[in-house]
Amino acid sequence: MPVFFDVSSLDVRIGDTAILHDLNLGFVEGEVTALLGHNGSGKSTLLKVLARQLAPTSGKVQLLGRPFQSTGAREFARHVGYLPQHPPGTDGLTVRELVALGRYPWRGPLGRYNDEDHRLITQAIEDTGLGLFQHRSVDTLSGGERQRAWIAMLLAQQTRCLLLDEPISALDVKHQVETLRLVHRLAQQRDLTVVVVLHDVDLAARFCDRLVALKSGQLVADGSPRDIMDAGILESIYDVPMGVMERAPGQWVSYVH
Amino acid sequence: MFAEPSERGVSQPTLPARLPVAVALIWCGAFLASAAPWLGQLDTGTLIAAFWTFEASDYASVLAHYSWAPRVAIAVLIGCGLGLAGAVTQQILGNPLASPSTLGVEAGSQFGISVATLFFPGLLAFSPDLVAVTGGLLAIGLVIALTWRLGFSPVTVILAGLVVTFFLGAVNMAFLLLKGEWLGNLFIWGAGSLAQNNWHPFMDLWPRVLVLGVLMVLLMRPLQVMQLGQASARSLGAKVGLIRLLALFLVVLMSATVVSRVGVVAFIGLAAPVLARLLGARTLLQRLIWSSLLGSGLLLLADTAAHWASTWGDGSLVPTGTTTALIGGPIILIALQGLKNTHHMPGQDDSHTGFLPKRRSTLAIGGAIAVLLLITLVTSMSWSPGLTDWSWTPIAQWHEAWIWRGPRLLAAVLAGMALGLAGTLIQRMTGNVMASPEMLGISGGAAVVMVLIVLSGADIGRAGQLGAATLGAATALGLLILLARRHRFAGNQLLLGGLALYVFMDAGLRLVMASGGTVASRLLNWMYGATWLVSETEALGLLGLILLIAATLLLTVRPLSILPLGETSASSLGLPVAKVRLLLLLLAALLTASATVVIGPLSFVGLIAPHLARVLGQQTVGRQLIVAALAGGLLLGIADYLSRIVVYPNQLPAGLLAALVGGLYFLWGLSRHGRA
Repeated sequence: MPVFFDVSSLDVRIGDTAILHDLNLGFVEGEVTALLGHNGSGKSTLLKVLARQLAPTSGKVQLLGRPFQSTGAREFARHVGYLPQHPPGTDGLTVRELVALGRYPWRGPLGRYNDEDHRLITQAIEDTGLGLFQHRSVDTLSGGERQRAWIAMLLAQQTRCLLLDEPISALDVKHQVETLRLVHRLAQQRDLTVVVVLHDVDLAARFCDRLVALKSGQLVADGSPRDIMDAGILESIYDVPMGVMERAPGQWVSYVH
Repeated sequence: MFAEPSERGVSQPTLPARLPVAVALIWCGAFLASAAPWLGQLDTGTLIAAFWTFEASDYASVLAHYSWAPRVAIAVLIGCGLGLAGAVTQQILGNPLASPSTLGVEAGSQFGISVATLFFPGLLAFSPDLVAVTGGLLAIGLVIALTWRLGFSPVTVILAGLVVTFFLGAVNMAFLLLKGEWLGNLFIWGAGSLAQNNWHPFMDLWPRVLVLGVLMVLLMRPLQVMQLGQASARSLGAKVGLIRLLALFLVVLMSATVVSRVGVVAFIGLAAPVLARLLGARTLLQRLIWSSLLGSGLLLLADTAAHWASTWGDGSLVPTGTTTALIGGPIILIALQGLKNTHHMPGQDDSHTGFLPKRRSTLAIGGAIAVLLLITLVTSMSWSPGLTDWSWTPIAQWHEAWIWRGPRLLAAVLAGMALGLAGTLIQRMTGNVMASPEMLGISGGAAVVMVLIVLSGADIGRAGQLGAATLGAATALGLLILLARRHRFAGNQLLLGGLALYVFMDAGLRLVMASGGTVASRLLNWMYGATWLVSETEALGLLGLILLIAATLLLTVRPLSILPLGETSASSLGLPVAKVRLLLLLLAALLTASATVVIGPLSFVGLIAPHLARVLGQQTVGRQLIVAALAGGLLLGIADYLSRIVVYPNQLPAGLLAALVGGLYFLWGLSRHGRA
């Protein structure tokens, strides 16, 4: 599998504070990767760097083997979609209008939307189960539905990679599971590369192919759920004595001592 | 796999009927009102035909063709252009109070014309357009240069725009006070007059408005993407900075072109998009279309009202700018009630105001400022220019100079302290570092009352003025707090409310200015803080008052630290929120009013002093209060001294100088802040 993102000796500083330090990491195409770590460990910053929202202080990021910064803005947006942690209010846009904006990278400021665009928009809405809501204002939806509307926008963008910053932090358990299941399913169907910042390590282990943990801006653990779901490793990530049970193959439960 | 939606899906939302109905009503009403005086002289057909032809034999018909019809046409055209420009501006900055007026474009154009009138009159004859566009570009260029590094974050842009507006306004006033005889008719121009006597201006203008309008519409899709906030817009591949730059440039061209023809027609560009949105224009396309239509209707209405007021009044000219302001103010206030979701406007999350400089010792900083203040006091009392050269007055002779230099200096320093305290209070109460008596229109509220007093011709003495001004300030602040409460003091709401009050003050001012005469110059002197009006007893009275309030403030330090945590947290900590808020409100109003009476409403001290205190590392309430008060006193003390000596033997109002210096400081601080 080719490497989608290749991060080498990445440094990010804000003022005198080092947020990320000498990070070397590759994200493989078609894999769902969870970024773990406690608050302030640099997960969101890493995601922002990958989404080109934040310029690294030093170090290199490559997108599919090509230098990262030289790609044009819309060209980049056709490859990488990013969902910020707190999507802003959409000021009266309906779901369908929001999703339609996802076609911007393909059509630009003046290009006409053709049938294909409309089909993709409809498809994205169907895929996220928002068919009945498509003419409702996004602001009137519940938290989970709103999150799905934004994910639908990313889907209409037809990118090969999704970067999701804590997409489930404001949702209840049911919606958390639904959203992650949706992401997982879409990743499989469309062979997407997904990098998602998560707080819940159990859900991460359940729905992701690979777990990457940061601590103080450095890599502390990287591997499959089977590797990471280990009392010692979790303890080193979270600095809390933890234990892990495997209830069934591929289903772990972690707990705090 | 998803839970079945509990409710039925809704069909495609349609445009609410009230929007076209309201627009039609405004248009018909304005057109009928405008045509009414002519209907007696001409029949309807002839009147409408006046737009393209006239009968040479009928004087009324000629008059209608060359005066009434172009005036209506130009009002419609300009309103349309400004409405569109306003809607685009609001979309770019994701901010319901953005408009060409609030971004400083109009003030810049006016500034350009002033400078040209004074120094390059030939240029003005060559092309007033060029001068106005240059001025407008200068203003917005200043705004852009200051906010460039912040990626044009909306709140900063508005803030810089307001400061540039005030600053250029102050420079304008300085010209006026020094060279008033040359700039007399600029007042009327500055207030916006749509009177026409032929079709040339209209013919000149419409192609430009059309071209600019089409260009703006072409930018629609990128603008729509901006609605998703900076992060998402960028991740969709939109070049956020470039789009904003381009759209702002078009807005400047549009408003400066319009403004160079008819002067400052403020607030149409603000009110039209706000109204369109309130009436239910939802998507960007709808907002653009309906803002243009509403802008036309509103301006026609305002112009007709101005025309009527001029005719029916005692012959004094009522400029259109006044009536647009009178229409704009209430619309903004309504908007404050009706706009939901604005505390969640796109782009707000990436504001850069939350910086925390290193804490420093209050004693050192406060001591340093106190020493500077002392030096200022001594210098101001002793070192002054005489008829031949500068002389030093020894302390033994101070009692002779006191009557000339003492009271005004004391009053200026005290006013500065009051503003510093009031600014800190208001910033803490609202939890918003951009809040200040000036920006929130609390000084404006005091000024409205003062303008009304001047307009009514009543002479009520200093104490009466203080009382009235306090009332005005308290009403303004109370109103703001009441209005903004349900939005939890989100910055936009407060600024919007303050702006509405500023609009009212502005309307009154324009009216007074356009009427000219001694009233105007008296008001002008007061507005810009002529400290020489202060007598000794007044200065001492002020001293007592400020000391009293400062003592009361000691009791409020802790409540003030708790209030920004929010009402719920504050009351669960056992704070009687309503009572405390009322007390603080009264204190802030009293402080602002007492300062406004002395120094006028337009100095930046209330904004700068608390800001300065924060930058100097005073983060807790008590420390910030002390240092802000000292810094405010220092600023106005220096301003008072300079105002006495820079154009000696003439005088400048101290408030004007404070506004100039303060404006510069603030602009500098803003740009430095961006670099940090």
